[in-house]
Amino acid sequence: MDGTLFFQTLVDGLILGGIFSLSAVGFSLIFGVLGIVNLAHGIFVLLGAYLGLALKQTMGIDPLAAIPIVCAALFVLGALLQLTLVAGAVRRSSLMSSLLITFGASLILRDAVILVFGPDVQFLSSAWLVDTFHIGDVIVDGARATGLIASLLLLGLLSLALYHLKVGRAMRATAQQDFAAGLCGIDARRIYAVTFGISAAFAGASGIIIGLINPFSPFDDTYWTLNAFVTVVLGGVGSPVGALLGGLLLGEISTFSSQYVGSLYSNVFIFSALLLMLIVRPNGLLGNAYKGSV
Amino acid sequence: MTKISRRTALGLFGASVVGSTALRFAPARAQDGGVIRFGGSLGMSGRYAETGLNIRHGYETAIKYLNEEMGGVEIGGKAYRFELGIVDDASDPARATTLIQRQVDEGVDFFLGSYGSNVVLPCAGITEAAGKIMVQVGASADQIFTQGYDYIFGLFPRASRAWVTSIELFKTIEPKPKSVSIIATNGAFSKLNAEAAAAGCKEIGIEVLDVLELPEQVTDASSALATIRSRTPDILITTTVDQNSLVIVRQMIATETNVPLLYQFLGPQLPAYRESLGAKATGVIMQLPWDASLDFSDPVFGDTESYISYYNETNKRPLSYHTVGASACITTYVEAMRAAGSIDPAAVRDALDAIDITTAFGPVKFTEDGDGDPILMGAKIGQVQDGKIKVIFPTDFKTGELVYPTPTWAQKG
Repeated sequence: MDGTLFFQTLVDGLILGGIFSLSAVGFSLIFGVLGIVNLAHGIFVLLGAYLGLALKQTMGIDPLAAIPIVCAALFVLGALLQLTLVAGAVRRSSLMSSLLITFGASLILRDAVILVFGPDVQFLSSAWLVDTFHIGDVIVDGARATGLIASLLLLGLLSLALYHLKVGRAMRATAQQDFAAGLCGIDARRIYAVTFGISAAFAGASGIIIGLINPFSPFDDTYWTLNAFVTVVLGGVGSPVGALLGGLLLGEISTFSSQYVGSLYSNVFIFSALLLMLIVRPNGLLGNAYKGSV
Repeated sequence: MTKISRRTALGLFGASVVGSTALRFAPARAQDGGVIRFGGSLGMSGRYAETGLNIRHGYETAIKYLNEEMGGVEIGGKAYRFELGIVDDASDPARATTLIQRQVDEGVDFFLGSYGSNVVLPCAGITEAAGKIMVQVGASADQIFTQGYDYIFGLFPRASRAWVTSIELFKTIEPKPKSVSIIATNGAFSKLNAEAAAAGCKEIGIEVLDVLELPEQVTDASSALATIRSRTPDILITTTVDQNSLVIVRQMIATETNVPLLYQFLGPQLPAYRESLGAKATGVIMQLPWDASLDFSDPVFGDTESYISYYNETNKRPLSYHTVGASACITTYVEAMRAAGSIDPAAVRDALDAIDITTAFGPVKFTEDGDGDPILMGAKIGQVQDGKIKVIFPTDFKTGELVYPTPTWAQKG
């Protein structure tokens, strides 16, 4: 086996995995705290990319600098979606109804994106991207490396918030036992909205990073929802570290199978890993079941 | 019995004299033949939406011109107007076939094509079985033209013949390229083109190092590019669609994957591609099914230049080769109907078989299998130079000289 090619594949997998992790962490949070599979996750990712594009085109803001603005906008959108549609549907029916509601929301939001931006392929560029660099003979893609750095920073911030801020502790408490959290004075309704908001904000941030790496169009949303789902199953539900591990694992499976078996077969390996994980360790790598892992 | 007064009788007589005189001197008017409806589906949403919209704009422009500027068309002594009955298939073959079957049941005789061989192929099966004509500019997979279909026509040569011009170009390059690698995706169109390119290269003694296949939606080409770096070919060919081509080239730049010549079958033709890459796009070559610098006469619009002016006056969307090709589909239909002197589908089909015209898109002549004549309608080869596309081959159409080997990504600034 060619050593350089092996290490190149390893590095490519790590970088790809970092981006998968960031794009999945929001999905993981909602699943962990609310028990909802958010099918609008992919469109939140794309909304982040499109908002970054709009801010660059109208105000000249660099997409990486626009991350806080995009996060704020998507936080509001996510929280509103939860308060107005999802919460009502779940209260009146069951958790399953959230699947329909979030799927419907994703269709409406996708059409809204098409109305505003058109169906054409778009792309983002930033003056702040790290230059491509070498580690020995291994080449590290600057744009993707920037994505990985941003992903690690944002995931670190989320971990800090979950473990050191009051709202983070409230989210974890609600995830573990919402009834008991309520008895302690935590307003679960507010925490659910905040969780949905944070999830949408992180999806938006990942959208900007994805847009810097790959061209995007309004029809890519299902890809990112599916990716998030696989990442979460591999890494474990509800935790930033779980999302990170799941994303990295997914990235490595994808690049190694592409390099040494063939790119056409990477999905075979990814979904085989998913099945294996569901059979052997259904709670994911970190081993905590949903409702209790944040 | 009612009596007619003298005044009324005189009035009627006067009116009849004036009326008959007026009719004698009025220009001869063809009898109203009604409206000819073009049916079909198109991916105006879904993954092919960008090209789908380009095609729709081409159809609409031609219909608008025929109705509003020409006041309709006389066919076999009757004046016809045209109507576009295109519906959105969401780039989904299953949905497209349902929609096409419904239009066949409704009695539509003339179909325009969707985009993507995977969509057009099953739809062609339905229209052919019903004896309805389809003229399309969105698909070129061999399977469409090797089923023995009589009613299906395409403005592009079939995929396996699409590489004739390119292989001729490779023969002329100095120093002679010795090796080629090909990146394709897991789809009929991309794979067929990759096979045709590989076969053509082998025929002229260029070694094919690798044919690397990626999933149909490319988000990461790092493994394929690592292979390219470890065994660098003289020419790298990608037979991928626009979005995938952009993913690959951007990742090539980011990973300093340099090759003496990058040939992207689709992608560089789009302004968005060149805008995205800026100076880095310099040197990339591509097939040019159409280029604005090539002026052809057109029986409807006059010539290519007039077509471009009319399009730009009436549309905001940038012109693409698919748009011009879509307008040419309708021009071709109209010319075939005029030649047939009838709108009977069998007569129009025979006229299409024999058609030999030029349109704003270029010459239109079909092979006996219905695809575009590979010599007359074969693509030109273009290269991005100073942000613009120059035609570098065939020699007769040249607007620039091939740059080979091209500068590295770093040298392009």
